[in-house]
Amino acid sequence: MSLFGALSVSASGLAAQRDRATAIAENLANSETTRTPEGGPYRRKDVIFEPESQVSPFSAVFQAEFGPQAAGVGVAEVVEETRPPIMKYDPGHPDANPQGYVALPNINPAEEMVDLMGASRGYQANAAAMSAVKDMVSKSIDLMRL
Amino acid sequence: MLDPIASRLENYMDLLAARQKLVASNVANIDTPGYRTRDIDFQFEYMSHVDGTGLDVIEPDGLTVKNDGNNVSLDRESRLMAENALRFSMASTLLRGEIQTMKRAIDEGKSS
Repeated sequence: MSLFGALSVSASGLAAQRDRATAIAENLANSETTRTPEGGPYRRKDVIFEPESQVSPFSAVFQAEFGPQAAGVGVAEVVEETRPPIMKYDPGHPDANPQGYVALPNINPAEEMVDLMGASRGYQANAAAMSAVKDMVSKSIDLMRL
Repeated sequence: MLDPIASRLENYMDLLAARQKLVASNVANIDTPGYRTRDIDFQFEYMSHVDGTGLDVIEPDGLTVKNDGNNVSLDRESRLMAENALRFSMASTLLRGEIQTMKRAIDEGKSS
């Protein structure tokens, strides 16, 4: 029954979009962070997706038996933004350099919100796909109840 | 199986399941750079493969490729998703009818 494979594909989509939303939330929360363990201001994080085959020992048998290999999605890597930080003149700030400038993360809230909307829509689409498949599975189960 | 109609229905449902899986995969990869939409030629597969194995995965053309090389269209996938679910529901209702007919015949034989 390859329908269960479709469920795990959608589940991987949900997980990936949630990871993306987490990264965006982290960026927004740290938009004014000037100190990090690595030193310097916080750097914006972005997740990169890649297709990933859903292989579990159980499903592998079924997949070999029937149907095309469907790819799920996974987070390939989390990259840090390389844009230079914004220099803001604030001589009173404890992290200001000798010239009185503070390095702040180069984070654009509008950009983050748009990304967040994308992640949320992606999550919704995967959830809808999952419920459509669930419907099909329950239709098949109903065949046994006569 | 029960009769030729039931086995065709079974084949139809297998194909729908396979297609739904590809749709789920396309939706999951909606933001994956370089990912291309994958699908099956439903009519061709239905006419040519009686057993539902060895499906040819195709990359449909005519879809807009975004800047990151991804060409998944959410509208197309949503439509296919709804269509698959409806077709599946129809097929399962028909198959249910077939099984019910069989069951009725068995039940009538029992009550003598």
